[in-house]
Amino acid sequence: MSTTRAAPAPSSHRAAPERGRSGGDDRRLTWRNRLYRFDMRYMPYLMIAPFFLIFLAFGLFPLLFNGVVSLRNYRLDDPTLPYWAGVENFSKLLGDEDFWNALYNTFGIFLLSTVPQLLLALVVASLLNRKLRAQTWWRVGILLPYVTPIVASTMVFSVFFSRDFGMANWVLGLFGLGGGDTPIDWRADKPHAWIAIATMVNWKWIGYNALLYLAAMQSISKDVYEAAAIDGAGPWKQLWRITVPLIQPIIVFTVVLSTIGGLQLFTEPMLFDLNSQAATGGPNGEWQTIGQLIYKVGWKDLNLGYAAAMSWALFVITLIIAGLNTLLTNRLAGGRK
Amino acid sequence: MRRSWFHWARATAIGAVSLVMVAACSGNSGNSGSSDSAGGPVTLKINFWGDFGLQDLKTKYEADHPNVKIQLNSGEYNAQHEDLQKKLIAGSGAPDIAAIDEGFMVQFRGQSDKFVNLLDKGAGKYESKYLPWKWKQSLTPDGKTQIGLGTDVGGLAMCYRSDLFKAAGLPTERDQVSALWPTWDKFIEVGQQYTSKTNKKFIDSGTNLFNPILGQQPVGFYNEQDQLQMDGGPKVAFDYTVKAVQAGLSANLASFQADWDKGFTSGSFAVLACPAWMLGHIKDTAPGTQGKWDIAAVPGGGGNWGGSFLTIPKQGKHVDEAYKLLEWLVQPEQQIEIFKKVGNLPSQPALYADPAIADFKNPFFNNAPVGQIFPKMAQGLTPQYLGKKNGPTRVAVENVIIRVQNKTLKPDAAWAEAVKEADKASKS
Repeated sequence: MSTTRAAPAPSSHRAAPERGRSGGDDRRLTWRNRLYRFDMRYMPYLMIAPFFLIFLAFGLFPLLFNGVVSLRNYRLDDPTLPYWAGVENFSKLLGDEDFWNALYNTFGIFLLSTVPQLLLALVVASLLNRKLRAQTWWRVGILLPYVTPIVASTMVFSVFFSRDFGMANWVLGLFGLGGGDTPIDWRADKPHAWIAIATMVNWKWIGYNALLYLAAMQSISKDVYEAAAIDGAGPWKQLWRITVPLIQPIIVFTVVLSTIGGLQLFTEPMLFDLNSQAATGGPNGEWQTIGQLIYKVGWKDLNLGYAAAMSWALFVITLIIAGLNTLLTNRLAGGRK
Repeated sequence: MRRSWFHWARATAIGAVSLVMVAACSGNSGNSGSSDSAGGPVTLKINFWGDFGLQDLKTKYEADHPNVKIQLNSGEYNAQHEDLQKKLIAGSGAPDIAAIDEGFMVQFRGQSDKFVNLLDKGAGKYESKYLPWKWKQSLTPDGKTQIGLGTDVGGLAMCYRSDLFKAAGLPTERDQVSALWPTWDKFIEVGQQYTSKTNKKFIDSGTNLFNPILGQQPVGFYNEQDQLQMDGGPKVAFDYTVKAVQAGLSANLASFQADWDKGFTSGSFAVLACPAWMLGHIKDTAPGTQGKWDIAAVPGGGGNWGGSFLTIPKQGKHVDEAYKLLEWLVQPEQQIEIFKKVGNLPSQPALYADPAIADFKNPFFNNAPVGQIFPKMAQGLTPQYLGKKNGPTRVAVENVIIRVQNKTLKPDAAWAEAVKEADKASKS
């Protein structure tokens, strides 16, 4: 670039006709050159810039502002407090039994939902990967729960798991469990509430993850399976020894996604609550997740500073867990390579 | 050359960023205007929940005021309050008139600087017309700022299923039923008679026993200095509640949930504490039970549950026009119109003598004279101060009651737990 640019400078000392001709050629060349260079070098940045600009305005800025708020006394119902709180909000967090209870619940529901969800998705995907009649119908059908608005499905599940007239108890009653005179109160203790909420999460996301897995599985060559079949590997063994290692990147991706989603779980526990505007997650916080607790502290207790500190804590926890998960899945899925 | 291109790229980036920032900032610049010039067309937005009976009044007001258009925006109860709270913080977007319920009033009264002081607009002349406690609820503690004018009050009565009462061998005529339970102790005795005879539950939930009893006490959760007073009113209400739960009277149903709604038709419970606005809910939820429900007096005298206010957030652009509309809405003619339409009981006691209210009988409830029952309860009420943290504290204690009901907490440990949870809520 610098050489072509330097060229016109000495040309000004040349004779007029010569200069005009060569100078014009130069300029045309340079202009085309410039466009080309621009296209190659800067166009990609320009094309991806909108995302980053919007991310800066609506992603990074709120994140940083949230960090500032978490160091402040920001009570909507008490503007008289001193402006800065320092690390007070964070130190309060460490001794807050509600926070640890919510963290415990979040992890409990997270484990109950993520693990079966991804395993089932894997099985469903490998079934869909076979030759089936009405293949498209099955593949589209499996995605339907994902398309359903989360609020709508949660409301249905909330009724499904109700104590007196719920279908869950009716179905269990058919097998002689619960039902009758001693119906299971799904909202009375942690195990039942967690199972109910995990069921909602699983129902919604199994199909979505299965489709991701299916897409990855389609790229695996059929020869590998044929060879394995000749060597005597059954479908189960093929799934674990061939499919899983080969679609490992997408597994890591889904694990990270469900970790983030699972730790931010909000709508399901919120609407499962009979008194949902209180956001207590059950009479004794049986299923109050961190997301719900942040909402309660911010909008019910009107303590935005403390809620911001909780959000930051959740952010850090999510980062740590997602990192650990990635490491672990890499190990598990890639270890046999 | 490279340098100049770099300049160009940087300039573009800076330009784009500043564009975004300008766009982000300009959202704030519009809220400085206070009031439009009179005469121009003005749109007034009213946010409320459920049915405030405003539809016909809107048409009437618009006909009389050609320059005013009214936009009615009914949403979900909690969503509307939370939306208002967010708009108040954001500094823009609040409606011209916002309805606020009694349960949220203390929270918003604490932010009185964000509302138009109706006393400045001359609303003081209405003070004598209102039930004194209703007027006080939306007045700041120093008495200098009135942020809202009351619309309806709950009043309190006891709804009962006369068919179930008959099956249990209890009297069914409303005066006789009222005579059954002059006190809450008697009420629990009647409940025990009912459950032993029919093997069915008597009340819907312990929490719906706790709240009306607490509402009758001279002091609620907080005294006027906003200190938690658990040993007074709350203890009385809590003891009755636990007693009723232990006697096996409660169906343990959460209000406004599917099982509760089903309970109205399936006979899961036979009585329900009901304020005026509950009548509409029973009628809508269980239309098939027409004539089976009736209304008796609540044990222990007067009481109140719920009731709303209309406020004018300061950030609105048409504050003056909004006040004119608000003032019109609380006039007797409109208040009676609303009562006839949706049954909301006005908070101006002089209206209770009006034949339109006094002679009104509700056909769904076996022609119960609701125009007599509810005003009497609203007037018999002792004004109670609701503290700043009343809402969360109530939820915390209700949760303890629910845990007693679902047997995850022993009744004898319940009061200590209630005190602990209430204390936590008061400091939240």
